[in-house]
Amino acid sequence: MANAGGEQAPDPTATGTVAPGDDFERLRELLLGEERRALAAARARIAELEQRQGELPRRLPEAALAALRDNADNPRIASALASPVGQALGEAVHNNRQGIIDALFPVIGPMIRRAIAEALRGLVDNLNGAIESSFTLRGLKWRFEAWRGGVPYAQVVLRHRLAYGIDHVFLIERNSGLLLRHASAPGLAPLDADAIAGMLTALGDFVGDSVGRDGGVLDAAQVGESLVWVEHGPLANLACFVRGVPPPRLRELLKQRLEEIHALMHTAADDVPLAERAGDARVGELIEPLPMLRDAHRDEAAGSTPRASRRPLLLALLLALVALGWWVSERWRWQAQLTQLRDTLAHHPGFVLGRIEARPWRSLVVHGLLDPDAVSPQAALDAADLGDASRRLQVTGFVATADEVVLRRAQRLLTPPDGVRLQVAAGVLRLEGVAPPEWIAAAQLRAPLIAGVRAVDSTLHTATDPREIARAVLARLAGEITARTVTFTREDEPVAGSAAVVDALAADLRRAQAAAAQAGVQLRVRSVGSSDESGGEDTNVRVRSLRLRWLALALAARGIDAVAEGDASVNADPTRRGARVELRIEDGAR
Amino acid sequence: MSAGPYKVCLLGDFGVGKTSLVARFVRSTFAAKYLTTVGVKVDSKEVSRPGRDPVKLVLWDIAGSNALDGVSASYLRGAAAVLLVADGTREATLAAALDLLMQARTLLPSAAAVLAVNKFDLVERWEVGPPTLAQLRRSLPVIETSAATGIGVEQAFAAIVAGLVP
Repeated sequence: MANAGGEQAPDPTATGTVAPGDDFERLRELLLGEERRALAAARARIAELEQRQGELPRRLPEAALAALRDNADNPRIASALASPVGQALGEAVHNNRQGIIDALFPVIGPMIRRAIAEALRGLVDNLNGAIESSFTLRGLKWRFEAWRGGVPYAQVVLRHRLAYGIDHVFLIERNSGLLLRHASAPGLAPLDADAIAGMLTALGDFVGDSVGRDGGVLDAAQVGESLVWVEHGPLANLACFVRGVPPPRLRELLKQRLEEIHALMHTAADDVPLAERAGDARVGELIEPLPMLRDAHRDEAAGSTPRASRRPLLLALLLALVALGWWVSERWRWQAQLTQLRDTLAHHPGFVLGRIEARPWRSLVVHGLLDPDAVSPQAALDAADLGDASRRLQVTGFVATADEVVLRRAQRLLTPPDGVRLQVAAGVLRLEGVAPPEWIAAAQLRAPLIAGVRAVDSTLHTATDPREIARAVLARLAGEITARTVTFTREDEPVAGSAAVVDALAADLRRAQAAAAQAGVQLRVRSVGSSDESGGEDTNVRVRSLRLRWLALALAARGIDAVAEGDASVNADPTRRGARVELRIEDGAR
Repeated sequence: MSAGPYKVCLLGDFGVGKTSLVARFVRSTFAAKYLTTVGVKVDSKEVSRPGRDPVKLVLWDIAGSNALDGVSASYLRGAAAVLLVADGTREATLAAALDLLMQARTLLPSAAAVLAVNKFDLVERWEVGPPTLAQLRRSLPVIETSAATGIGVEQAFAAIVAGLVP
């Protein structure tokens, strides 16, 4: 047998050395030499691989980076890593949650802050708009709406400024969940409306059967910014897909639309399939998103608050108007009374009105100039109808030239006897009657010196006969008596202060009666009435009759009972509502 | 203009291939991986018919069960047809499908019904024998189907359409 293995190198991995003389080894070499060499090569390869495996952790990062760099345009390495990385991450989250949290903490913070910043930016935009519109008509309207609804102004602003839109409207058969009609807003991608209608119904069935024990149904569902509102009807449901934040009014509008749709479908015969009834063009119009959106906006703009809530507001407005009206009326009445007082004071003899300090319904201070011989205007001030306001007269003295004041001054300075009558007209002092010679001489000296007297016209003469003196007195008194008039407001209601006039009149009449007795003449006294021209003649006659009778009775009450009632058909003074007496002196010989 | 839509409910035991049949019919796809259906999944498909208006079917793929519970029963409301699905490799699913048919009949007495015996691609492992199918065909249309290959799927839904629109 030839030694074929003599050319073979000894096996370096063999445990022993092959002795040339060892037959057994030679036999092994002959029989297994090839396999032994293959085995040795395999062992060497395994050793090499084990060595490379041991080096793998050290080489792996560089190898991964090289693979990613070399395969920049080839996603194989990324896709190959995606699954194990995802699994590893999930495992890590499950087993080492705190470690993951700690690792992600620096990342999560900025992410959250950025998200909040984005959300706040939108909010700030809205608030900026709100601030800009605060003082516009719309802003005021929103403020009023917030006040009326009792909600913060910001809430109203956000509700108005947040946009919303209607994407899809589905009319779905209530029983089967089959789609009856569908409408979408323009520009939206087509969708499987039948499947969506079915899924919505299935979802509603599931919710209703699972948790709606008391008959509850699925009314709304929200996914992200999309909202689904479902309105339920006996035949069909209306589902509306809305983006954003819709106003509550839209929900009301959906109910109205569903009711109208049912009304339309009920007009068809019962044996007409529901799908055919829903094919009515009017049903299609009712579910169109754009008209629905427009109607919701319009109703919202028109104010969607219930009618009942306006009542308190209207009542409050009415009360405010009544209060305002009352205040205006009272204020107007105060001003009218003040004007009347100012007019009265302006014409008061011997008084020059300066100014009036008035605090409505509280106090009144009248400043002016007053002649010492003039009658104080305090009575006129007190008589003014100014309620409980306090009144005060603050005057400074001066010399007046009004005839009334000059007359009073002349009477004070001259102290005329009973038979003398003084009159002042246009500054001319007229002296008439009878008086003792001494008084006449003194008067003629003093009269021209009286302030305000421009000239003196004297017809005085001396008399010693008592009857002649009495006649002169009677003549003076007659002038004074006929000048005293009682004024009435209406019919026979006298103005305030009339009692004093009647008292003075009664006193004059007594003196006149005494003088008449001395003079030996008969004194006829009668009361006469006067009225203005308003009203019918019959009414005026009746009113004059009432007034002259009132005066006669008033004088009788003061002991003057010889007063006859005059003729009411004659108007004694058409310029005033009053009553006075007239005297007629008759010679006693008659 | 299409006829319908008609609501078609798929009923059958777990794992018989209802969802796969719908996927094959609607999207011409098949996934070997099994994903159980939770609740119900609704799809729609317009079935064309030569020389006639197409018919729109709304397919309610109801979660597998061997009996109808309250929720599943509510899904059946208004259905015009029922597609019963059984797995030919599991004879028990055929019995379950027939039980479901009996229960569905109480709710939908006039609904059309078709039986699809699925997984025809595994016919060598079928436990349901031809005599059984022949016996069933006397009561309702029975179609052997395979969602994996598409065999019989169109025919099954065509049989439903034929039951709905003569």
